[in-house]
Amino acid sequence: MKYARVYAEDVKVGDELPALVKGPIQQIQLTRYAGASGDFNPIHQDHEFARAAGMGDVFAHGMLSMGFVAQAVTDWAGAGRVRKIGVRFAAIVRLKDVITCRGRVLATSSKDDEHLVEVEIWAENQKGEKVVTGKATVALPSRA
Amino acid sequence: MPIQLNKGLIGREFPPFVVTIERGKIKDFARAIGDPNPFYLDDRVGQASEFGDVIAPPTFMTTFREAGGDNAEFLRELGTDISRLLHGEQEFELHRPLRPGDTLLCRSRIVDIYEKTGRSGPMGFVVRETAATDQSGEIVGTMRHITVVRL
Repeated sequence: MKYARVYAEDVKVGDELPALVKGPIQQIQLTRYAGASGDFNPIHQDHEFARAAGMGDVFAHGMLSMGFVAQAVTDWAGAGRVRKIGVRFAAIVRLKDVITCRGRVLATSSKDDEHLVEVEIWAENQKGEKVVTGKATVALPSRA
Repeated sequence: MPIQLNKGLIGREFPPFVVTIERGKIKDFARAIGDPNPFYLDDRVGQASEFGDVIAPPTFMTTFREAGGDNAEFLRELGTDISRLLHGEQEFELHRPLRPGDTLLCRSRIVDIYEKTGRSGPMGFVVRETAATDQSGEIVGTMRHITVVRL
């Protein structure tokens, strides 16, 4: 089931996170994200502005795509478990794109009472192009 | 001749600003991402959880901005404008989840500015770090933002 609790003992290197599919991206979501994040760059809202800037059309905030991959991580690891998350924005996300977020366990470690899991995370569009790549570290509870 | 970024801004510290995390802002942010996680949206789930309240999604610190801060002025000093910007990289380190009512002091500075030529021509990179401390002086989170400037 969704939001099931994952324990450190259940995780091993190479495990894959359940894929999370987001989109298709719609203008209304970019407007909503602008309001919620405070990023009102017109390049995400105004077609004429985006064209004049040489971008062809509006495109999604990178931070919206990062929010998607963070959701894939927290859907798996649980809310409040992320200690670190870092990404590179590899390609522009356009209107109508469907974004699939994925992840894979790279390493596990335990120190004192903390059980850390490092995961590789990425998101790809409907053509299979990577739009976001990165890593996250989550702290998981122990069954002990 | 590509524009030159003003590297004199390396080391620039912005005026510290205070953010108080609002319950509704957390929920609007989660909904804008389309994340229905009840730990962000349902007060009763939050109160019954180990966190004692709803918490913010991992990328929520991106909303931390100085009220009335003038980014356009900084971009002018840098030698560019908003139409040339792309988001290159972003990283968050979180020492604990953020909750409604947290009042955080945010300090932001420019740690590097450099140029590189990539597949799509010359690009400038501006690296900005922000640290947020709580009322007991503990750092609760940091973020690192790399802006790409199409030169």
